[in-house]
Amino acid sequence: MNRLSPRRIGLALAAPVLALLVAFVITSLVLTLFGDPVLEVWKTILHVPKPRQTVQIVNAATVFYLSAVAVAVGFRMNLFNIGVDGQYRVGVFAAAVFAGQAWLPGVFNVLVAIVVAMVAAGLWAGIAAYLKVRRGVSEVISTIMLNAIATGVVSWLFAKVAQRSEGSNITETKTIPESSQLEGLKLIPGATNRVFTLVVLAVIVGVLYWFVLGKTRFGFDLRATGRSETAAVASGVNVPRMVMTAMVASGALAGLVGMPQLFGQDHNYGTTIQSGLGFAGIGIALLGRNNPIGIAVASLLWAFLDIQSNALQIGVGVAQEIVFIIQGVILFAVVIAYELIRRTDIRLEQQRVARELAAQRHSTAATEGAPA
Amino acid sequence: MRHTMKVAAVVSVAALTLAACGDSGSDKPSSSGSSSSSSSSKKSDIKVGMAYDVGGRGDQSFNDSAAAGLDKAKSELGVQIKEAAAVNGENEAAREERLQQLIDAGYTHVVAVGFAYAASVGKAAKDNPDVHFAIVDDASPDSKGANVDQITFAENEGSFLVGAAAALKSKAGHIGFVGGVNVPLIKKFEAGYIAGAKAVNPNIKVDSQYLTQPPDFGGFGDPAKGKTAAEGMYQGGADIVYHAAGGSGGGVFTAAKAAGKLAIGVDSDQALTAPADVRPVIMTSMIKKVDVAVYDFIKSAADGKELTGNNVYDLKAGGVDYATTGGQVDDIKTKLDDYKQQIIDGKIKVPTTP
Amino acid sequence: MVVVHGPGGAVASDPGRVRLPHHGPAVPDPRARYARPCAEPPAPTRARTRSVAITASPPLTQTTASGTPAVELEGITKRFPGVVANKDVTFSVRRGTVHAIVGENGAGKSTLMKILYGVQRPDEGTIKVDGNVVNLHSPSDAIAAGIGMVFQHFMLADNFSVLENVVLGAEKLHGIGDAARHEIQRISDTYKLGIDPDALVGDLGVGARQRIEILKVLYRGARTLILDEPTAVLVPQEVDELFGQLADLKDEGVTVLFISHKLDEVLKVADSITVIRRGTTIDTVDPSTVNARQLAELMVGSELPSPTTEESTVTDRVLLRVEDLVLGGGGGGRPVLDGISLTIHAGEVLGIAGVEGNGQAELVEVIMGMREPTSGRVFLGDRDISDWGTRDIREAGVGYIPEDRHRHGLLLEAPLWENRILGHQTEKPNVKGQLIDAASAKADTERIVKEYDVRTPSIFVTAGSLSGGNQQKLIIGREMSHSPKVLVAAHPTRGVDVGAQASIWDHIRAARREGLAVLLISADLEELIGLSDTIRVILRGQLSGDFDPDQVTAEDLGAAMTGAGEKEQTR
Repeated sequence: MNRLSPRRIGLALAAPVLALLVAFVITSLVLTLFGDPVLEVWKTILHVPKPRQTVQIVNAATVFYLSAVAVAVGFRMNLFNIGVDGQYRVGVFAAAVFAGQAWLPGVFNVLVAIVVAMVAAGLWAGIAAYLKVRRGVSEVISTIMLNAIATGVVSWLFAKVAQRSEGSNITETKTIPESSQLEGLKLIPGATNRVFTLVVLAVIVGVLYWFVLGKTRFGFDLRATGRSETAAVASGVNVPRMVMTAMVASGALAGLVGMPQLFGQDHNYGTTIQSGLGFAGIGIALLGRNNPIGIAVASLLWAFLDIQSNALQIGVGVAQEIVFIIQGVILFAVVIAYELIRRTDIRLEQQRVARELAAQRHSTAATEGAPA
Repeated sequence: MRHTMKVAAVVSVAALTLAACGDSGSDKPSSSGSSSSSSSSKKSDIKVGMAYDVGGRGDQSFNDSAAAGLDKAKSELGVQIKEAAAVNGENEAAREERLQQLIDAGYTHVVAVGFAYAASVGKAAKDNPDVHFAIVDDASPDSKGANVDQITFAENEGSFLVGAAAALKSKAGHIGFVGGVNVPLIKKFEAGYIAGAKAVNPNIKVDSQYLTQPPDFGGFGDPAKGKTAAEGMYQGGADIVYHAAGGSGGGVFTAAKAAGKLAIGVDSDQALTAPADVRPVIMTSMIKKVDVAVYDFIKSAADGKELTGNNVYDLKAGGVDYATTGGQVDDIKTKLDDYKQQIIDGKIKVPTTP
Repeated sequence: MVVVHGPGGAVASDPGRVRLPHHGPAVPDPRARYARPCAEPPAPTRARTRSVAITASPPLTQTTASGTPAVELEGITKRFPGVVANKDVTFSVRRGTVHAIVGENGAGKSTLMKILYGVQRPDEGTIKVDGNVVNLHSPSDAIAAGIGMVFQHFMLADNFSVLENVVLGAEKLHGIGDAARHEIQRISDTYKLGIDPDALVGDLGVGARQRIEILKVLYRGARTLILDEPTAVLVPQEVDELFGQLADLKDEGVTVLFISHKLDEVLKVADSITVIRRGTTIDTVDPSTVNARQLAELMVGSELPSPTTEESTVTDRVLLRVEDLVLGGGGGGRPVLDGISLTIHAGEVLGIAGVEGNGQAELVEVIMGMREPTSGRVFLGDRDISDWGTRDIREAGVGYIPEDRHRHGLLLEAPLWENRILGHQTEKPNVKGQLIDAASAKADTERIVKEYDVRTPSIFVTAGSLSGGNQQKLIIGREMSHSPKVLVAAHPTRGVDVGAQASIWDHIRAARREGLAVLLISADLEELIGLSDTIRVILRGQLSGDFDPDQVTAEDLGAAMTGAGEKEQTR
């Protein structure tokens, strides 16, 4: 948004780099304290991933990205959609049930199911938006509650439609027809597994996010509301309507979170579906500073840590949960670093403005009074 | 905006922390696992990789039972072992990767503990025809393969016996059941338990509660939730509670002790494995001999006969049973053994769904 | 503490003491225009003053009070990004007196008090307590130096007893038991506060709670009390009680700094009064020598070149009409706006004078569609815009210069060119259809920066890094760029430096010549008199009749604004 200058880029990169360093140091300390092999752990985590693992990283990052963008839409206008977890569950369940019916052939089934997921998750988020606009209920509280309710509602509905194959202890919705299963893309040479076809979805969402927020009137209003609600109101933004729209949009995006896995891996909604994606999205959006490129980098980092840590138990004998510590410390450090850098940035800019103005005054011998 | 960011950070870090706490059981994946059995007398070419379910070794229940079988194989057969545990909420790719990592590390036999591994075992078995697999609690086509030993148990039959024991022992005519996660497998426990109780006392009241709903599998590792659920049942008048909740069961025992009532353990003989202070309240346990099944798998391999297909461990095969440790059910042992015989003989058909 | 009476005038004008911002030597003292002979004796309010308040007044000839001043401030300056909150504030407070600090809202009183209480640190200047220079880094430093503060909003726990509230956070002094109880009783008796240590705070009234707050501060050893707008929460009887209390405190040697903008109260209770305007100390006067009007004039007067009125450009075409606007106060209180009606024609500037908090802000918000009135209508031309949203109103040609530019006028963390879009997100050159036209917006921002002399190194710096005056020029440039029919301007030159102020006035005048209707709300009487074609005063949500800016004096307006001269007011 601002013109790029070396100072700005430097400051923007300083925070994440600093955070990574802090995370590295603290994690090493924790490992040393418990007598784990520090060097081995870092070697394992930082080894060059095999092609198979690269695919997994891309796949995991795809899902993280969608989740983080969903969260970021809210963040950009100061809405804290903590309910992405519940919204995506509602969305993926609705899509799985719909696609499993195989009412439509092949790709149409996929496309319409994606719309179904967006609508379902958007409506679910709409409940929180309505409560905020009409009843003044904080979206933080309502979305947390709605997460729990979503789990309950989905479980209840799931019990009605779930089926179980003979001898299995896993229940799942009807598997989507093979014609609608997306085989995946062979993007990484040498890998037997494939990148989710719906990585395309993440790219589209990223571009749309950048475009809508940065280039449209709607995006401007949304960002203005996030920066200063009072100024937005005075500028004519209908804030309640904006809250409604942004929350529903955030929810609709949350509905996409489950799509790559549904069509590219699981092919149904079952008891073993991945959970906790919405919460990962919060951290990733934060790390990526709500910037479409930043979020992409953060998603890849998160996915990298997740996947690389799989080898920890087997290779080094350290619980892979150590990655939660790394990720947690990164988050904490990055928030502190961003705040420090934001303040430095403001101070530097004020100094620069003052300096340049002073220089101007010298050269033009201004006649009017000094600025306050 | 800034404020939101800070709140966001706290929440997401909290989420991570909670996730980490929820799996505290797997904080200690046996670091000894990396060492081969240098101390054991016999050597074997068999290298066994064990992929646990959420909770891992140390959950005092299901995973521990599998670990016991593994330990026995290690000491008696001299096999090399390696262990890894699942992370709560992980996705299919993570499970596949875990199995693949074990295979990459040269493990010839891979044991997957828990039905969540069904699809990944099926896939890994297809990709690695030279490696032998065992999966506990699944007999579905997903995991079927020429190199797969599908291990299943008749939990309903074992639960029938402890249900009968509970009904025989209950003075209030009111008992309870705490399930970890609401999945079909745990419903099988519930079904057998209720059937056994009703066989003794058709009018008995049975409270049932599940701690979490899938895909949240935290109910298998959350003693606090188990305690709350059991407390509710004891206060409501139940005097014996049976849990099928893995690590959450510890909470059930604590509640039983506090209420001065009784509880029934699951999977292992928990009167032997639970913390000493709660052992007296464990009237009996429904033993699910995962250790036996795991040992069988490794032993057969050592003997050169790889097990494949669905191997059902029921009462007849001695795969499930009730525990007598502590002597609290000695007085009703004959009755229970009578039921046991009737089930083995097929006179009693135990349902699998409540 | 000298107040020199000018010959025949009551206006304090000691040139050595009055601190004015630097401006060109060509500029005459603007107050000269209004310094007319004061025929009346000191205002009748003085006659009602409590005796305690006057007896302590020193003779005029006395240059300084005996002994070291309790508190001395010297050259205190505090800057915030884009504004200077305090500039070269200098005054001293005699021990055992009630010293009032008066000034308009936003004049810098609160910042000054925060500095004195250690909440904020000055960028320049020194604070002396009892003759010693102190560095106050935190409120605890201030308390250690014997300075305590009673905030406008009480900080008491309802479910605690008085004792518990008082000792909370000061347990080390006298413990929490009988020793503390005795100490509280002793303080209460000494200063005649009449507080029972064991009463439950929840059962006590506002006056008593205020006394507890005072006691809390005394308990911690303060000898100088800062009372921030203490009467704002009190009913008149309680105010009288408080003033009695202050007299008792004074008798015991406690010094009181009394912050207020209620002039009659200040005159009643204070021993000396320091006036603050635009962040700087204007003068310190003796209450016995000034009346409310003169004080008001000092408070709101202008040190700037006067905006001269040009020949009238008023037409008979009505552009903005407000009819009987009522805005109810919350909880069934007095309405905030009480039957406001006004009409502004093309080419007319209607000035609204008033002490802040009398409904100006609400009037603006209702006109701008940011608030729903309880009843009444607003017309733009002949279109009824009462039910319109803010965006529709702005699109229809109402420009808006908000009172608080940081909250309502700018996105401080966004670059200038994005701020140029703000408020006109649907209008050219900012947008093309649904898309933001960044290139045109940037080009137009460059134009505004040039035409309105916004001093900035580039249009990509954040709005927050500009000085207040330049921020304001950007806002005015933005609003003027959409050729509004009506301009609602609230305090357009507040917190703006001298140069910027003159140019802002020029822009408003130019717009007026071109047929703009301007609603000008200001506390700066110079500005109102200089720019307006008609002036009305708002007091307690009601508008007075018209004042003719060619005839009216700042004194008249000051009186009407504060209600001080209500009885003598003949208009």
